[in-house]
Amino acid sequence: MAEQTQTANSTIGAAPAAGSHRFSAQAEAELAEIVSHYPEKKAAILPGLWIAQREYGGSLSAAAIQEVADRLERPFVEVEGVATFYTMYNLRPRGKHHLEVCTCLTCACVGAYDVVHKIEHKLGIKPGETTKDGAFTLSEAECLNFCGAGTVMQVGDKYFGNLTAENIEAVVDQLRASEEHTPMKLADAIVKLHLSAGG
Amino acid sequence: MGELKLLLKHVDEPGIENLDTYEKLGGYAGLKKAVGMERQAIIDEVKASGLRGRGGAGFPTWIKWNGIPKDTSKPHYIINNADEGEPGTFKDRELLLKLPHMVIEGMIIAGVALQAEVGYVYIRGEFVESAQATRKAIDQAYKKGYLGKNICGKQGLNFELYIHMGAGSYECGEESALMSSLMGERGQPRLKFPHAPLPVIEGVWKCPTLINNTETYAAVPHILANGGAWYGAMGTERSKGTKLFSVSGHVARPANYEVEMGTPLLQLVELAGGVTGGALKAIIPGGSSVQIVPADQVAGVNLDYESCSAAGTLLGSGGCMVFNENTDIVILMKRTAEFYAHESCGKCTPCREGTRWIYKIMERIVSGGGQKGDVELLLNICANIDGRSYCALGDAAAWPIVASIKHYRHEYDYWIEHKKSPVGPNCIPPVPEVMNPLLTLTPV
Ligand SMILES: Cc1cc2nc3c(=O)[nH]c(=O)nc-3n(C[C@H](O)[C@H](O)[C@H](O)COP(=O)(O)O)c2cc1C
Ligand code: SF4
Ligand code: FES
Repeated sequence: MAEQTQTANSTIGAAPAAGSHRFSAQAEAELAEIVSHYPEKKAAILPGLWIAQREYGGSLSAAAIQEVADRLERPFVEVEGVATFYTMYNLRPRGKHHLEVCTCLTCACVGAYDVVHKIEHKLGIKPGETTKDGAFTLSEAECLNFCGAGTVMQVGDKYFGNLTAENIEAVVDQLRASEEHTPMKLADAIVKLHLSAGG
Repeated sequence: MGELKLLLKHVDEPGIENLDTYEKLGGYAGLKKAVGMERQAIIDEVKASGLRGRGGAGFPTWIKWNGIPKDTSKPHYIINNADEGEPGTFKDRELLLKLPHMVIEGMIIAGVALQAEVGYVYIRGEFVESAQATRKAIDQAYKKGYLGKNICGKQGLNFELYIHMGAGSYECGEESALMSSLMGERGQPRLKFPHAPLPVIEGVWKCPTLINNTETYAAVPHILANGGAWYGAMGTERSKGTKLFSVSGHVARPANYEVEMGTPLLQLVELAGGVTGGALKAIIPGGSSVQIVPADQVAGVNLDYESCSAAGTLLGSGGCMVFNENTDIVILMKRTAEFYAHESCGKCTPCREGTRWIYKIMERIVSGGGQKGDVELLLNICANIDGRSYCALGDAAAWPIVASIKHYRHEYDYWIEHKKSPVGPNCIPPVPEVMNPLLTLTPV
């Protein structure tokens, strides 16, 4: 199977000792508000992991998972089980720009593989790999459900549509020029979506 | 029959994502009516409309609503399934992005009818842009008094609405897996009726729970504002109203189109500008989980639940994918198999193992390593998944393969015998770059 967003060769490692927490005061307040949306704390595991992904620099280490487990009073293995199930939790660091190109059915029929090959050639990486300078990670994605604009690519919190072998290089160049760390921006955007206005 | 814009009537109106514009164009009239109605009267309007769930299964919406107990000793929950993940479908994304108030209004009406005080919009993690539009709309609705305490000025009528974002998993669109995910678990399905109570009796946190699709909720305000009978006058005998279809693939104008139920499939393709890049080869009318229909059989197919089943396929989620004559069906199905193998949640053996075997066999066929008997082997594996899996993802992985073999057996045989595409070297999707004819069937 093509290497997808999630990979088997993650290295979460064993549960670290409790106590080395990193959530900022803002993150603590966000988690507290989110917990209040549900009848039990456990339901905040997914949003809690999104907060952790942002607070820990864009990916989830064992310490990050432990902190969510501690704060929600759940066992480490339970939270780890959740973190490893979903493809959008990064178990390894990603490049500053994570290029996730949809190669699913209709994108594959309108040139998605040409787009992937162009990126491979330009950046010298295959799907699943990160450039040496840490600027880009390339992945093949399953349907991003924006098929009408195929070929579609997700980069952090943004979708790019109507990509072709001709216009993809300009998009990559434009991303390279930007200072944003898109995996962190994505995590932050998702955390904020859970919060009511002014919260 | 043909294009009929009800949900999408004002979709191009500038500012329609904001409360003021939405309300000026008739929005929230359905809610205002519902607030003054009895529970059963609201459900009766939904019943009269004949609305069926737009998430894929087409289950009558009113039956679910009616199943929520009147007794409120336990809290009731309203959930919007906005996890849209079915390949080929992109209607809920557009509804949430451009018409979030219509979706929210439908959820509030459900809350009023079913005495629920809390609702969740479960949006797939990738849909940040759509979720941001929904967030903004929810905040506006709170300000206006359509959400929160004493909504529409009615004492004691409360409804809180939260967004819960997914984190990357197709299976979370399956309603019981969605409930697991909302409660903070891996996105795996839960025991189902008759082995467990229905979600309307014991859903999230063992409380009565209504789960409907985003498009289902978006239809509700129109039904309340104009009456169920008015909605039910559109469509066919058993498939009422309008339905959104996401048209993609080899068409001139891929986009969402809203048509009256019962519209001929080919008319939808015409709406989307017709087939591009060659003659029509096949259409998958309802998302990747449904059966492919070859060009010579599409003429009789109408876009309603009954006509689609009669043609050996399903209306599904309305993800209509159009393929021209350069499409290699075997490679297309190999990519489909890859999707299901990747998305299988791993809970049950037939699907967890079977989807991987299917993928491996498909991969070796299109790598020039196909063996005599591979087609029978595929059919055998599919037969052992279909009806034996814990949730419908397994069935959905098997059906498209079986249908493709039924209609395109000659293309499979050609691949196995000649080790190349029957369509030619420039087939779509392209032949995989890395040819590995020695693939074995060890687990991925
Ligand atoms: C694997 C799988 C994926 C599904 N994905 C979705 C989805 O993304 N959105 C959706 O509304 N329903 C999806 N469904 C259907 C839901 O289980 C459920 O039937 C639906 O949300 C009910 O709402 P409705 O009655 O309004 O259609 C899926 C089902 C399966 C088996
Ligand atoms: S059929 Fe079984 S393994 Fe496949 S998604 Fe459903 S529960 Fe999981
Ligand atoms: S197939 Fe690429 S977005 Fe759906």
